[in-house]
Amino acid sequence: MKREHQESGGGVGGYPAAEMMLSGKGKMTGMEEEHDGGVDELLAALGYKVRSSDMADVALKLEQLEMAMGSSAAQDDAFLSHLASDTVHYNPSDLSTWLESMLSELNAPPPPLPSAPIPKHQSNQLDLPPPPPVPAAAAPASILDPAECSTVTTVDLPTPRRQSEYDLKPIPSAATAAPGRVVYGPEATVELNARDRKRMRTSSSSSSSSRGGIGVGVVRGMGSSMPSATEASSMAAGPAAGALPVVVVDSQEAGIRLVHTLMACAEAVQQENLKAADALVKQISVLATSQGGAMRKVAGYFAEALARRIYRVHPQQDCALDSAFSDILQMHFYESCPYLKFAHFTANQAILEAFAGCRRVHVIDFGMRQGMQWPALMQALALRPGGPPSFRLTGIGPPQPDNTDALQQVGWKLAQFADTIHVDFQYRGYVANSLADLEPCMLGADAAGGCSSGGDEEPEAVAVNSVLELHRLLARPGALEKVLGTVRAVRPRIVTAVEQEANHNAGSFLERFTEALHYYSTMFDSLEGGCTATGAAAAAEVATGGGQQDRVMSEVYLGRQICNVVACEGAERTERHETLGQWRGRMTRAGFEPVHLGSNAFKQASMLLALFAGGDGYRVEEKDGCLTLGWHTRPLIATSAWRVAAAGDALSAAR
Amino acid sequence: MGVMILPLEEEEEEEDKKRRNTFSINDNVDLLVEILGRLDGRSLGVAACVCKLWSSVCRKDSVWEALCNRHVAGGGGGPGTRSVVAALGGYRRLYRLCVGPVLDRLAGGPGLAGWAATREEAAHLSLSLSLSLSLFSIDCYERLGGPRQRPASLLFLCKPVNVS
Repeated sequence: MKREHQESGGGVGGYPAAEMMLSGKGKMTGMEEEHDGGVDELLAALGYKVRSSDMADVALKLEQLEMAMGSSAAQDDAFLSHLASDTVHYNPSDLSTWLESMLSELNAPPPPLPSAPIPKHQSNQLDLPPPPPVPAAAAPASILDPAECSTVTTVDLPTPRRQSEYDLKPIPSAATAAPGRVVYGPEATVELNARDRKRMRTSSSSSSSSRGGIGVGVVRGMGSSMPSATEASSMAAGPAAGALPVVVVDSQEAGIRLVHTLMACAEAVQQENLKAADALVKQISVLATSQGGAMRKVAGYFAEALARRIYRVHPQQDCALDSAFSDILQMHFYESCPYLKFAHFTANQAILEAFAGCRRVHVIDFGMRQGMQWPALMQALALRPGGPPSFRLTGIGPPQPDNTDALQQVGWKLAQFADTIHVDFQYRGYVANSLADLEPCMLGADAAGGCSSGGDEEPEAVAVNSVLELHRLLARPGALEKVLGTVRAVRPRIVTAVEQEANHNAGSFLERFTEALHYYSTMFDSLEGGCTATGAAAAAEVATGGGQQDRVMSEVYLGRQICNVVACEGAERTERHETLGQWRGRMTRAGFEPVHLGSNAFKQASMLLALFAGGDGYRVEEKDGCLTLGWHTRPLIATSAWRVAAAGDALSAAR
Repeated sequence: MGVMILPLEEEEEEEDKKRRNTFSINDNVDLLVEILGRLDGRSLGVAACVCKLWSSVCRKDSVWEALCNRHVAGGGGGPGTRSVVAALGGYRRLYRLCVGPVLDRLAGGPGLAGWAATREEAAHLSLSLSLSLSLFSIDCYERLGGPRQRPASLLFLCKPVNVS
């Protein structure tokens, strides 16, 4: 039954976007228990509530309606336009009743209705102020049909044809009044239903700032946005009698609806049902406007990715141009949130400890980019008690579009820096399309040890560093094994690997989609939480709006990852994130053993996070010697350190 | 000096003045350095506004070095550290960009006045010196790109400024 509730919702919590999925699950079960079971699920996903037993009847009536509309169009344009006009709409979510009423109306046109424009935003007065992004408390026992929150607005006709559960009016002082909820109870006078309905509809969007956004295409003639307080309060008076059932509508309903629509769309895509997926994608975009902040952005990116997947539009046209752009984006990501800084600091600490006492050191960086990790390491080496060692750096990067040699420029800058602090520095840059193209001899390794340096007195200590690079290799089978073999051949003292802590590579598309939705919702939440404070600070500084720009570009950076995870397949899908446990397995199989990151790294990381304005949301955790940084309870990025396993290694005997 | 009998209070005042004038803190720069070197960052900034002499003393990097190292267990690094920090821009800059904001953030308020009370605090702060140095070096590296560069790696440490 609950086909779309496959999300592994256990263990997540503490942040709005993902919380909605959990409470939404509770609500969905509540709804289905309230009405009879046997509601058609596929239509329910689209917003229509039709009992499976009624399906044939509904189909027949739809045909009749189509014929009737077609024939009446010839005679009476005014009538059709009246049908289509905005002052009279039936709630189409309950299809069978709607069809009945439409057919009967067609047969007997109703008297002209008073078209007093009912203020759309009247509900402002009764709604509690827009709730802060606080996760919804425990789901109420029963909810309104979620389709009530669809974008189609409805005005009730003054006829008693409605089912009793829709005859609701808000009860202002209900016991269950909680932020973000408006309580409704049944009401005798039908006249008021029209406004009630509108109130219910707009209340579901009360959490958004763009109230006009909901159903812009559908709502016409609701122009007047003047709230009439007196009208509202007069309606609030005269509550219904006590024993009548009360229904609570959560104004975060639209958010839950949004999540469910996302899941439904993903499932449709998995089943290759592209027509349904297309319809759902459009609905996602509209629903997303009802949300604010992180959820809206996440939904937007996922909707775009799904659309790309459906229409098979592949975003990555020019790989080379991509790399320069993605470097810029990653710089902004570096500045706006602590994940990359955490990665660099913890990896540097591990490398520093591994290099203790060595006079010649060599670092191989698998993703050179702007080289932001190395100044701090060089400075730490310079301040070592015995003085700095001679430092050699090999940087690997992708090919560049124009003839600019970005790797060389970074090398120059690092050399300049090294010169300032009097560290003996050597640099070598390698351009490679993929890390698998590297050979051990390029990296200066030899079975005999120390080849290119011409047999110096002291062999160099080698460290290999990879920040968010290894997962790309999983796109091609065998690439990772080759690279790890190359790494082993270089005989490093330490290998530091930083990877996203998520499983975006296993299982079906739907599982991947669900995982990615959780992961990126948390990421965006942390950007939102961490950046509001720094944004305000930075905005006051000379670089006006710098913080804001950083955040926006970070979101674009994450959005590209989302696009890759959702829309691409095969060799193009390079964002194949795996969890720490999975990486541990891979490294162990490749002949490495873990090195515990010391407590110094942990303390430095904690202190770094304390400096970030949104610091209380970030969590550093230690997991079997590896450090993870996450937002609240969800780890998002993990640093681990490895060395070549000594025991049981056939090559070690030759050393 | 002998006691001179002069008529009335003005003579006594003059005498007092003479006595006072024989010793002025501004006459003894080393003493001034010693004293000012025990201030915290903000007070040093204030002191720099007093007069030209005080301003020049407060600009000495050694004063700021003492300030930074005061918060370090073991008195900070030796000449090696000094040369590195000097190369990166000096202790005053280090304090202004990194150590000061770091201390503020960690202490949850204006920087700790005076000495680091306990060993634990000192260890805590000594680690923060190394963190500050790392951040400082990243900032220095960013600025190497040229005047066009907008070094933004330290923006997260900035305090909000009321510009109303």
